[in-house]
Amino acid sequence: MERETRRKLQSAVALVLSTLAALFGLFWLVFILGSVLVHGMRALSPGFFLHDPTPAGIPGGGMRNAFVGQLLITFFATLIGVPVGILGGTFLAEYARGKRLAHYVSVLADIMVTVPTIVVGTFIYAVMVKPMGHFSGWAGAVALAVIMIPVVLRTTENMLTLVPWTLREAAFALGAPYYKVIIQVVYRGAITGIFTGVLLSIARVAGETAPLLFTSFNNTFFSGNMNGPMASLTVTIFQYAMGPYDDWHAQAWAAALVITFAILVVTVVGRMVIKLRYGKK
Amino acid sequence: MDILFYMLTALAALAIVAVTAGIFYILIRESYPAIKKFGVIRFILAKDWDPYREVFGAATNLFGTAITTCLSLVISVPVALGIAIFVTEIAPDFLKGPIGAAIELLAAIPSIIYGFWGFFTLAPIMANHIEPFLMDTLGKVPVMGPLFQGTPMGIDLLTASLILSIMIIPFTASISRDAFNLTPEIVKESAYAVGATRWEVVKNVVIPYSRLGIFGGVALSLGRALGETMAVAFVLGNTHQITSSLFDTAATITVTLANEFTEAASKTYLASLFYLALLLFIISFAILALAKVFLIRYQKKNPGGH
Repeated sequence: MERETRRKLQSAVALVLSTLAALFGLFWLVFILGSVLVHGMRALSPGFFLHDPTPAGIPGGGMRNAFVGQLLITFFATLIGVPVGILGGTFLAEYARGKRLAHYVSVLADIMVTVPTIVVGTFIYAVMVKPMGHFSGWAGAVALAVIMIPVVLRTTENMLTLVPWTLREAAFALGAPYYKVIIQVVYRGAITGIFTGVLLSIARVAGETAPLLFTSFNNTFFSGNMNGPMASLTVTIFQYAMGPYDDWHAQAWAAALVITFAILVVTVVGRMVIKLRYGKK
Repeated sequence: MDILFYMLTALAALAIVAVTAGIFYILIRESYPAIKKFGVIRFILAKDWDPYREVFGAATNLFGTAITTCLSLVISVPVALGIAIFVTEIAPDFLKGPIGAAIELLAAIPSIIYGFWGFFTLAPIMANHIEPFLMDTLGKVPVMGPLFQGTPMGIDLLTASLILSIMIIPFTASISRDAFNLTPEIVKESAYAVGATRWEVVKNVVIPYSRLGIFGGVALSLGRALGETMAVAFVLGNTHQITSSLFDTAATITVTLANEFTEAASKTYLASLFYLALLLFIISFAILALAKVFLIRYQKKNPGGH
């Protein structure tokens, strides 16, 4: 074969393989979402949201307790994690901007973003569950907050860095102290970005299971008591999937559907907002 | 007042440092009985995992973690690079954004959904179709044959690694894509000008140029795969064994923790589980730090990118 033809052929083969790779990725996305949609729709009914579970093995019942538990745990995790993350990010982007310390802390936060979440679960078990003597919704909320803090911190830092420095100088020139500049000028300029970042981080921790296994554990009864074991959708999916009853499996699919699409909608909207706001720099 | 706000924000930033140090300290404290009893090297190399005799070793868990992680990289890295090439060099402009975004959606699906879906949908397909096929073809090849022999159950190392690989594809792909995009247009144009084909430009210009970025992306995915729990917990079987076949069940550090942590009845048992968590934390911390080093060096070389 001529050298030219061989090179062209080689190029064509490589390009076809790349296209196949993209199709391979899309295939799994469609496959997973499709299965969740098809199986989940079958078990979805108003009762699924409104009833508590029936005793094991008896068909019927719903996951009201898990929905409420999931919302409570996520809500308190947000309440703890977001302020700490935003303030920490503010320190790195404002007071410590350009300093070596800020660089190291922000690299550390980046590492902590990806650290295995199950390790966080064991950590919270040792510092909260063991001393208290029982599993609790609080422990679950703190575990999720620990996972959230580095994510929110890094987003805040990035968003604040995007606010032009001249804006701050204009405020300084009017005689405003730095904290007022940050709160009234800088935050206002970055509010969309920070808010979206917070939403994305909530979406991320809402799907976490591993850190809840040994913290909030599970509860088959309805409970609004953050001081006791608490059900969550994700842990319930795990328990139901491993159980022997068909009815459990069907309900687990429904829960999977609800949580997957809730998270995907928040993620897609969040990313679109970021793109519209910051896409064309 | 300004000092007050300064202190408040500084405190919040230091919370990250405190939590990291806290995790190290607490894990060491909690696993101390096991460290004292089994030592370090001995614990890592010992294959026993026997709650009744209270003899524990990490080897089977490390084996499972290493195999699933490596195999998932073997599957995902070529695919992720292919996707990055497709999105940056091949796809028409109107497809670039949507396809990239769709691939990134894979990263937003919670890991428990991967595991759950893998258990009910993928595992039966693997058991009935793919694994028997692999057994009849690759299983007959000399050298690598034993990897593909055994009973195809669908709950095994191969299925777990495949699920993991799907999970980490978007991370490698999006970092590689960003790295590819940073290759200066003019360098690529020059290669085209001397008659290079599209593949030759990618292979000889774009990939070498973005090498550090790709390494960073792969190392980051490696860190993700190491610590993934729920996606593998469903389909790995949690058996403490070292095996030569990919069709066998196994256990990773994360799966062992997820399955046994709340059931650990004795002090030594619980301490050994904390010991595993400590090992996992150290390994993934080191790998993620390495990933950051690559990415920071890459950024220094290419200011303007992110």
